[in-house]
Amino acid sequence: MSDSEAASNGGGVLDAVAARLLDASVLERIGIAVASTTLAILIGLVVAAATGYDPVQFASQLLVGAFGSERAIARTLRSTTLFVLTGVAVAIAFRAGVFNIGVQGQFVVGGFSTVVSIIWLAAFVPSGTVGGIVLMLSGTAAGVVTGGLYGALPGVMKAYGDANEIITTIMLNFIATGFVGWLVAGPFGDPEATATRTRRLPDNVELPQAVFGDPNLSIVGILLMLGVVALVAVITSRTRFGYDMVTSGYQDTAATYSGVDAKRMVISTMTFSGMVAGLTGALFVIMIQGYYTDPSGIGNYGFDAIAVSLLAANNPLGVLPAGLLFGGLESASSHVQINSDVPVQLIDGIVGLVVLFVAAPELFRMIAARTGLGGDAE
Amino acid sequence: MTRNAPAVRLEGITKRFGDVVANDAVDFTLDQGSIHALLGENGSGKTTLMSVLYGLYDQNSGTIHVDGEERTFESPRDAMDAGVGMIHQHFQLVKPMTVLQNVILGHEPTEGGTVDEASARAEIEDICDRYGFDIDRELDTPVEELDLGAQQRVEIVKSLYRGAEVLILDEPTAVLTPQEVDGLMEVMNDLREDGRSLIFISHKLDEALEIADDITVLRDGKAMGTVPAAETTESDLARMMVGREVLFDRLERDPGTGAPVLEVEDLRVSGDRGRERVEGVDLTVHEGEILGIAGVQGNGQSELIEGITGLRRPDDGIVRLGGTDIADRSRRDRIEDGIAYIPEDRQTEGLVQEYSLQRNALLGNQTIEPYAKNGFLDWDAVENHAADVIEEYDVQPPNPETDAESLSGGNQQKFIVGREIGHDPDVLVASHPTRGVDIGSIEFIHERLMELRDQGVGILMVSSKLEEIQKLSDRIAVMYEGEFVDVVDPEAVTESDLGLLMAGGTLAEGSDDESESVDGGVSS
Amino acid sequence: MNVTDSLTVARLRLVGITIGVLAVLGAVLSGIFDVDLSRLITRGFVTRSLEMATPITLAAIGGLYAEKSGVFNIGLEGFMIFGAFTTAGTMFALGGTSPTQGDVWVAILVAIVVSTLLTAVFAVLLIRYKADQIVAGLAVWFVGLGFAPFVAALVWGSRSSPGLTSIDKLAFGQSPLVFLTIVVVGVAWVFLFRTRYGYWVQAAGENPEALDTAGVDVNRVRYATVIFSGAMAGFGGAVLLAHAGNFVGTGSTMVDGRGWIAIVAYLFGNYNPVGAAAAALLFGALDMLNVQFQTVGIEISARLVNLLPYVAVLVVLTAYGKTRIPAVVGEPYETEE
Repeated sequence: MSDSEAASNGGGVLDAVAARLLDASVLERIGIAVASTTLAILIGLVVAAATGYDPVQFASQLLVGAFGSERAIARTLRSTTLFVLTGVAVAIAFRAGVFNIGVQGQFVVGGFSTVVSIIWLAAFVPSGTVGGIVLMLSGTAAGVVTGGLYGALPGVMKAYGDANEIITTIMLNFIATGFVGWLVAGPFGDPEATATRTRRLPDNVELPQAVFGDPNLSIVGILLMLGVVALVAVITSRTRFGYDMVTSGYQDTAATYSGVDAKRMVISTMTFSGMVAGLTGALFVIMIQGYYTDPSGIGNYGFDAIAVSLLAANNPLGVLPAGLLFGGLESASSHVQINSDVPVQLIDGIVGLVVLFVAAPELFRMIAARTGLGGDAE
Repeated sequence: MTRNAPAVRLEGITKRFGDVVANDAVDFTLDQGSIHALLGENGSGKTTLMSVLYGLYDQNSGTIHVDGEERTFESPRDAMDAGVGMIHQHFQLVKPMTVLQNVILGHEPTEGGTVDEASARAEIEDICDRYGFDIDRELDTPVEELDLGAQQRVEIVKSLYRGAEVLILDEPTAVLTPQEVDGLMEVMNDLREDGRSLIFISHKLDEALEIADDITVLRDGKAMGTVPAAETTESDLARMMVGREVLFDRLERDPGTGAPVLEVEDLRVSGDRGRERVEGVDLTVHEGEILGIAGVQGNGQSELIEGITGLRRPDDGIVRLGGTDIADRSRRDRIEDGIAYIPEDRQTEGLVQEYSLQRNALLGNQTIEPYAKNGFLDWDAVENHAADVIEEYDVQPPNPETDAESLSGGNQQKFIVGREIGHDPDVLVASHPTRGVDIGSIEFIHERLMELRDQGVGILMVSSKLEEIQKLSDRIAVMYEGEFVDVVDPEAVTESDLGLLMAGGTLAEGSDDESESVDGGVSS
Repeated sequence: MNVTDSLTVARLRLVGITIGVLAVLGAVLSGIFDVDLSRLITRGFVTRSLEMATPITLAAIGGLYAEKSGVFNIGLEGFMIFGAFTTAGTMFALGGTSPTQGDVWVAILVAIVVSTLLTAVFAVLLIRYKADQIVAGLAVWFVGLGFAPFVAALVWGSRSSPGLTSIDKLAFGQSPLVFLTIVVVGVAWVFLFRTRYGYWVQAAGENPEALDTAGVDVNRVRYATVIFSGAMAGFGGAVLLAHAGNFVGTGSTMVDGRGWIAIVAYLFGNYNPVGAAAAALLFGALDMLNVQFQTVGIEISARLVNLLPYVAVLVVLTAYGKTRIPAVVGEPYETEE
């Protein structure tokens, strides 16, 4: 008793940090994430080989496409920003035990309302940098609010109607895509454009570029990404709300016992998650797109975000490397599309496999035990 | 098969779970046509031993003989084929399915591909006639609509339907009222007279003495010996079970002379399915007293407790804490108001299994200074709190980084008790404070509750253990079908008096000297 | 009043509300757009609705078996995509762009076999390796969304197939697959509620220990139901393709959420194959309203009308979310040891 007492009382902050880093479960999760990704990519290469492509060439194209040039890196970072932010949105909900599959829809309505509100407000705000900042701030606010409300809706349906949020959020994704698509094609369409899209954002709505000369990547976007990650990490680990949220995710009965109002928690979690998704939508239109188009063609950031979050074990900090991986894959797929015959859908399939393997950690535990890699073979 | 061979003979059974030895070279012999009681404390290895016999576990060593033949049971199916049936403590019934479907599950007679319900019905009615069971009138009722006593009879019929000659009954009396226990004893007697052999698992000495022919006592996984029931006494058995003299001492009582701290008036609370489970309860807990609530599980105790602690919103009525009505306040408000709560289920409510003890020390304290200020948490303060609780309550292992799930039940419970008492509460609500806890921890927790009482805290305790209720309570309220039947002085009633009240009866004379809710609301 | 009663009452009430809403909607529509209701609900509409309901029904029956036994197969959508694609691929392999009716039937069979094999792998991950059922199910969807268009692009150079052929109508202008589905619904009902195996499926989802102690291998029951659910979802995808006549792999593919709707259909049908089929018919009819609106000249964007089934799902789930789900759905079962 006295030994362990000394150990537990004598420890300082550093010991605690070291202990946490060495925590078997954290190491194990990292191991599972790496193993899942590796296995999925290997299967992807095997499929490429089986269908008559050169797997080595495909692999090198993946690498070159993601990190091979300054342009590629900028492109990777641009996608990474979106994957990290949507990934954080998913992680918030999953951490609290709520399956928000609707980040895609919240991302879409958030981005759309940012465009609409900026175009509408532009008439009342002077042009120039100050006006641009006002427009961007209010547009972002509109995106955050709309995304939050669109996330709150399935939260309310779950809390008061007992409606399974997995299904409602998926339905709301279809509805967001269809409805915004209709709005973009009809009432909000740009009559002068040949493509189906809204009018462009005014010229003063523009973020300063990063070091790379990529017009679609801004240092502001990267800072925003890092800021949101830090904020969510602090909220989950250092605040009462975060403790309530995470406890609800682990064991809702214990959370209720400790005074958490389960209904309210579901709604606030979904709102929080939707707000981050809406913020991502705002950043997407301001930094990258500059207008809104038919959402069925803008990319499945909100879906891939599920994989990002799961790969990160729903930890906001872990979302950074996971988001970078997916940013790299996305960037590589646009490279592959141009420079190779391999259909890029292969990369989507690989993403699916990553999720499949992440879902089955037991598989890797058994493999590790068999091969003696995992240490204790129980 | 030789007629004289014992029905079951276990030789040198050893069963290990990891490093824990649950059964250590246990010998056990069940004679044909007899009832053999297997006695022991919780965790002494009774259920493990019987699970080995029933094919649920593989023993590490030792042999099983049934009717003189050595057998190995890979699964319960093998055991059943050899005529061994088991009635588990937690009934193995599929709640939404009917009685008939449950009885024949896994042994369905079929005709033309579909289940032949008619022939099953006839056979079940036969069995019911033979032993006087009444469930043949309920064959098409979903099992969940029967009371626990009837569900137990379904379990017994199920075993008989499968042709069990040997019946293992795992703590069959734990969920029954004393009167239902009498009924069960009769059934067991009938089965014995019919030539079947029964193993009766229990930790209750009197029941074992009453019904059994032989008694085997287990302690810490070892068989302490087998004695004929006719040649032993309660105190002998108790010594074998516990390994030392057991003091059935009564503590000094202090019936409610303090000021009232918790007053409940005409409280009505609904259960999960919307049915009213608490139908107008009045109670008062005074400073420095323990009010014990006795009753058969499922008579509204849980809902009453949850209505008071704020986990369930009452439909109607008043809950007054120190004079102010808190019936409309949330669970969190009530924690802050000073109601501590040792929950009914420590595994799902009291602890987050995957959290360390440190993180668990915050559970329920999220809004209370010094652990939280302005919404931010002070983990150092929480860690100190966890360390204090661990030291003061002797929680093993004494390491705040340990995950709750790796602790034994007793240590988990001590941690919860320590954390809740650490709130410095005005009122403590304790629900089954020692359920599934080892003897040492039980005594420890009892002492702490008494200390807390002596410090002037009002304690409301629910327990299904009568001995616990009688030992600790200053007054006892008996709950039956959502109402208080009576409030009695623990010195003035016997266990069978309580049993009668718990079954909805009334005491002949007014031994209830101080009554708050003597409406005797028994209509049946 | 017991639980089943109260659920029945709730369901009846909801059916009443649904009929009421539809009546009001009809009245408003006929008022505003001046259309004759009898022109809206035509025989063709019924035929098309039935046709659209069949894939949903088949997947729903599979899904309800899995969930009844305690496994939430959320991958129905993914297996439907695989089923639809395999059917198209097989048709194309057998008969190029003009496959025969025989090829169509062979293709459907191949699709069922392929889905069965794929689900067997999935079942091993869920049951043997205790994968998270929700995440793994989502993964199946993602894998389907990736690999089906990938292989389509390999075969046809595009994510969608060229026009192949659809199945010939049998009687009353109705596809033979519709009749087949009606038979499947009946058999599924009898099997679940009248045979010993059906009892085992129900017990596996409510109290697996009871089934285990009765000597039935719980995980074997679950393997059977999960593999069955994938096979049925694949069958559903095949039927969808056999009715449509070509594969569409863009966006969310031609399956377009029908696997998810199938889940809602069996929840709404209270895990009863007949109820699930009725719910699927409701969703199928909503899906086909678009065509009706066009024929009677109601000017609403097709894109908006196509959202109706999704909206209906939201309404149904929220108004009728409190389905009594089997007690142990999502929990892997381990025998003690």
